[in-house]
Amino acid sequence: MEKSQYKLCIEVLRRLDKAGVLKDTVLVGSWCTLFYREYFGRTRYIISLKTRDMDLLIPRPAIIKVVIDVAALLKDLGFVVGFTGSKGYIRLEHPLLIVEFLVPERGRSYDKPYALPQLGLNAQPLRFLDFLAQNTITVKLEDITVTLPHPANFALHKLLVLTKRPTTEKQMKDKEAAVRILKALVDKGQGNLAKNVFDTMPRKWQGKVKKQLIDVVEEKILAVFR
Amino acid sequence: MNVIKSVLKEELANSQAMKKDYERELARLPKGSLVKKKIKGREYYYLVVRKNGKVRFTYKGKLCDKEIEKYEQAKKYRAKYRKLLSQVKKQIKFLKGTLRGKKPV
Repeated sequence: MEKSQYKLCIEVLRRLDKAGVLKDTVLVGSWCTLFYREYFGRTRYIISLKTRDMDLLIPRPAIIKVVIDVAALLKDLGFVVGFTGSKGYIRLEHPLLIVEFLVPERGRSYDKPYALPQLGLNAQPLRFLDFLAQNTITVKLEDITVTLPHPANFALHKLLVLTKRPTTEKQMKDKEAAVRILKALVDKGQGNLAKNVFDTMPRKWQGKVKKQLIDVVEEKILAVFR
Repeated sequence: MNVIKSVLKEELANSQAMKKDYERELARLPKGSLVKKKIKGREYYYLVVRKNGKVRFTYKGKLCDKEIEKYEQAKKYRAKYRKLLSQVKKQIKFLKGTLRGKKPV
């Protein structure tokens, strides 16, 4: 990864932290796989392929009390406002980084952006994101504390939503990331922890996860969920 | 290999969207640059704009600080956005080339 990309990411997180937004967010998406390095420490862990988009989950949007224009906050770094898809989801774009906001989708599915007037943005509501926010860890990146989903929740969530991914390639990428994380957890001696998280999932979800793990060749991963 | 290709394709689509967004932002910025001229001891502002290959000076007279700041900011952002746009164009060229790969003979 480019050094400048990492620096930019840290600067964005630092500004969000200073503005009082970061404490109410959980960093999700492929950038997590990079920051899990801190968590796994000496355990062998291979980082998965990641894209430029950094997803920030706001588990409880209503509790954000600060009023800040996030687009203006990042403007001098060269970020511009962009829109994705036909629904008008806002994202902040830079050639090195794309910042997107997500909220958990609860209740009946609504195919519209979730307005975040406090931040001058909107967010994409997605299913099952509560599962990522219910068990988190914090990592220290330079002087900033960032909240990430626990690796077990992250990996199991990836497997859970695998069939909802739009392309086979994305499914393969997500599955690979999930398996790498589960393997690192087992190697770190936290297989039981992964199993405990798995046990908190509803039966239907467990079935979906197990289905995705059928063709995984790593015997020690399969043994955890038997 | 397909996974890498799909990531590259996604990044290409991102860069193409970004190119449009930077072009839009550049078009939104006020045109031209402010020039201060001192005439008979007094300061006046002119707006310099390039139009059809010719440089045109438009008299603006005395301007308030807010207006001057607006043009200064626009100048700063124009330079920044142009640099980033050039970066995005290079990304698009690189990604297109990589995705095309070697064509079979």
